[in-house]
Amino acid sequence: MKICVWGDELAGWIAAAQLAAYGNDIIKAGSALAPAESAIRIEPGLMNQLEQGIIGGQIRSSEEEDPFSAEIHWLAIGPGELEAASEIVAHLAAVHQDSLLVVNQSNLGTGASDQLQARLDQSKNQHVVYLPDMLQGGQAMRQFAHPEVLLVGCENDSAGTMFTALMRPFTREGTELRLMSRREAEFTKFAITGMLALRLGYINELAMLADHVGVDIETVRDGMSTDQRVGPYYLSPGCGFGGQHFTQYIEGLAGLLSKTRGSTLLETVLKQNEQHKELPFRKLWQHYHCDLHDRRIAVWGLAFKPGVATVESAPSLRVVDALLAQGATIQLHDPEALEDFRFHYGEHPQLVYCAHPYEAVNDADALLLLTAWPEYWSPNYTELHRLMREPVIVDGRNVYDPQLLHDLGFTYYGVGRASH
Amino acid sequence: MTPDTCWSDLRDSAQALKPRHLSELLSDTRRFDALTFEHDGLLLDLSRQRLLPETLDQLVALAEACQLQQKINDLISGKPVNCTEGRAALHTALRTPAGKSLSLNGEDIVVGVQSTLAKMEALVTTLHSGQWRGYSGEAIDTVVNIGVGGSDLGPLMTCRALSDFKPKAAQGIELHFVSSMDGSQLSGLLSRLNPATTLFVLSSKSFTTIDTLANAATARQWLVDASSLDTEVILRHHFIGITAQPEKASEWGIPSQNQLLFWDWTGGRYSMWSAIGLPIAISIGMEGFRQLLDGAHSIDSHFHQAPLRENLPVLLALVGIWNINLLDIHAHAILPYDGRLAHLPAYLEQLEMESNGKSVRLDGSATQGHTCPVLWGEIGPNAQHAFYQLLHQGTESVMCDFIVPAKRYTDRGQELQQQHRLALANCLAQARVLALGDKALDDDSASAAPPWKRYRGNQPSTVILLDELTPYALGQLIAVYEHKVYTQAVIWGINPFDQWGVELGKKMATAMLDELDNPGLSGSLDCATSGLLQRINTLREQG
Repeated sequence: MKICVWGDELAGWIAAAQLAAYGNDIIKAGSALAPAESAIRIEPGLMNQLEQGIIGGQIRSSEEEDPFSAEIHWLAIGPGELEAASEIVAHLAAVHQDSLLVVNQSNLGTGASDQLQARLDQSKNQHVVYLPDMLQGGQAMRQFAHPEVLLVGCENDSAGTMFTALMRPFTREGTELRLMSRREAEFTKFAITGMLALRLGYINELAMLADHVGVDIETVRDGMSTDQRVGPYYLSPGCGFGGQHFTQYIEGLAGLLSKTRGSTLLETVLKQNEQHKELPFRKLWQHYHCDLHDRRIAVWGLAFKPGVATVESAPSLRVVDALLAQGATIQLHDPEALEDFRFHYGEHPQLVYCAHPYEAVNDADALLLLTAWPEYWSPNYTELHRLMREPVIVDGRNVYDPQLLHDLGFTYYGVGRASH
Repeated sequence: MTPDTCWSDLRDSAQALKPRHLSELLSDTRRFDALTFEHDGLLLDLSRQRLLPETLDQLVALAEACQLQQKINDLISGKPVNCTEGRAALHTALRTPAGKSLSLNGEDIVVGVQSTLAKMEALVTTLHSGQWRGYSGEAIDTVVNIGVGGSDLGPLMTCRALSDFKPKAAQGIELHFVSSMDGSQLSGLLSRLNPATTLFVLSSKSFTTIDTLANAATARQWLVDASSLDTEVILRHHFIGITAQPEKASEWGIPSQNQLLFWDWTGGRYSMWSAIGLPIAISIGMEGFRQLLDGAHSIDSHFHQAPLRENLPVLLALVGIWNINLLDIHAHAILPYDGRLAHLPAYLEQLEMESNGKSVRLDGSATQGHTCPVLWGEIGPNAQHAFYQLLHQGTESVMCDFIVPAKRYTDRGQELQQQHRLALANCLAQARVLALGDKALDDDSASAAPPWKRYRGNQPSTVILLDELTPYALGQLIAVYEHKVYTQAVIWGINPFDQWGVELGKKMATAMLDELDNPGLSGSLDCATSGLLQRINTLREQG
């Protein structure tokens, strides 16, 4: 089958690679045949399979072939881009006079797939199927190829047949297909994401409490995950979640809840998350007795999560704003997002952009770790201690061992780990 | 003409006008045009006053005989018009735009005014951007103004009046006002507030006001207890001091970077335009605050330059003189028909009564007639259910000021617009009935009513009509009253800028504090005081 994949979300690249392996012809909309984000590029198995598809000629760019010529369209575009999706579908309807299948795997909110459907002509057998994006980074290839369950929002038999045929290579092992309306499937996705945000909000709240009670939240979290009802996922305390998509998506759900139900549950989570992003600043502020003027502060990690080159709603923005306002000088490092950060702030007398992590800690009064990039996990502690003016580490992601750092002569602050 | 001959002419006119009912005067259809005055969007309607257009000419002649124009020049140019304290009263300089200059004792004070505004702006920006941090590192989200009198009433009245004009950045900041010396406002507030995110603004011209310092000490201790930090750290991050006495503020512990200064030539009740207006700037933003100043400045220029016969503050003052000194009316009600102006009566009570509640002339002699009347007020529609009965059927003559914006809720729903129409209708109806009495009805139905349903009417009133209540319009309105007060003071020959009458009580209270701790200490108290003291001390001892 000839399939065009739209958008740069992880789900789109996974679908392109996997579908190509089973003889489909894939047109990847856009000129690039590799994901821009390193977080997607590091997805185990993905790049290899994409390459094979490209070499074998099953995957081509839309520069090589007209994307609208395909009869199946896979949408994996970012939240907030409903308008772009609508334009694509409207154009499809305009150029296609016969049957069409649009598989929407984007998080555009409840009702979006119905809106897309309205652009198509059902009488010509043109249909939208909604497939919630349940892929987790790190396991996405396997999850796509061997799903235990597929939730599918599909309201037409022939579209269902077509979709099932498309997914047959991956569902032979007895995958359970749960069919529901598009709107229900979208709402389910919404509900799951909200639940995850609540878990993050909850563990961060507990972390704050742990600071006061004098226990290590990491130990508590380990204990919590042994209860099957709780499980281990989305329970890592840290200095807040960021990223445009996740935040935007939760904001959408929070807005919906508050508008139609007067519920502030998720709004509270979002509000607390914003405050949580400043946690490293607050620890530092208290350490230095509410005076950071002329202090030199190193920041490791500016991206909103490891593997991305963007600082969109990242904790680093809040922390750096606060430090700037207090008259500190900030020495910044990030393996990939330094340029995006520079784009936001430009040159500033209080900001020093560093190409090397150890350059950033030189003469520093403290090191703040805000993004858990792999290269920060096991630094040369002796070198760190030697370079820093004051050996103070604020670990916004709980990647270091408090006892070890204490023994090495550092003052250590984590998230929810009574200071060492 | 001398003031005496002017007074004599006016007394003759008053004799002739006293028997004439307002209903008769209002039958002249040209009256509204002849007795309304407008400047820059503000309308002053004097057509319900018990006078004729030619009476205004006589009143203006009196003002001229009292050398009002010269006195206005003196005020605005910085002459020491506050003679008992030997200084100028330059609230007008506080709203003089940047670029102009005014020399006082060889110093250009506009430069100082503008640099204080710049410091305020920096502070407001830090607060609004969430970068004023409390001891925990959290952003300040609550500001408590501690001040009393002029350091409380102006900011309180204005913040309430302009609550619709909060910019988005200001919406995250809660504002409270604490003034009472007994701590009753503060104690309730402290139990609800988060110390880590609360900033106190201490406003005191002298920084010795016991009411304010007592509240401030309680607030400081509350923060020290909650944070377990040094007082010095707490003062640096949780207190701003606004004062004309920086040494006193430093002595109390406010670091200089947290001090906003004004000058001894700014009277307390004229100080909301100075750094004392910080809560206003926090509430409506610096841009809004500057619009407020611009509105007041527009009236300053008008007061300075317009001919007296068209000069809004002057006319408002002269009508007051007519009512007080010639028609013998000694009660004045302030009746805003807009709930946002709820604190305006209290503000004007201080402005007028503390300024002109005097009986000694500039030369030390006693004043001849009455000066400032008793002034009080309430939101008009609410007062209708409280004291309007007295206005309509009581035995006191009362002059009333109705204050109302023509437009409100223009960007809101129909229901709210309907509510404002209701307020407008009531305002117009009340002014009409107070003037006409039951002559507002047709003759037959009026005379058929039993005596207790009759309305005498003939209560004079002024209507001040704003286009809309905006920062600019409020600035105009307050400046009109300030200059009205000054004009009346000139005519009565008194100093409106001192307040010696409040000093003795303060002194006595300090002495009384010792009596409460050590009963019978002085032994020279009057029997009424010592009787009460004894009773109180007995009750206190019983615990």
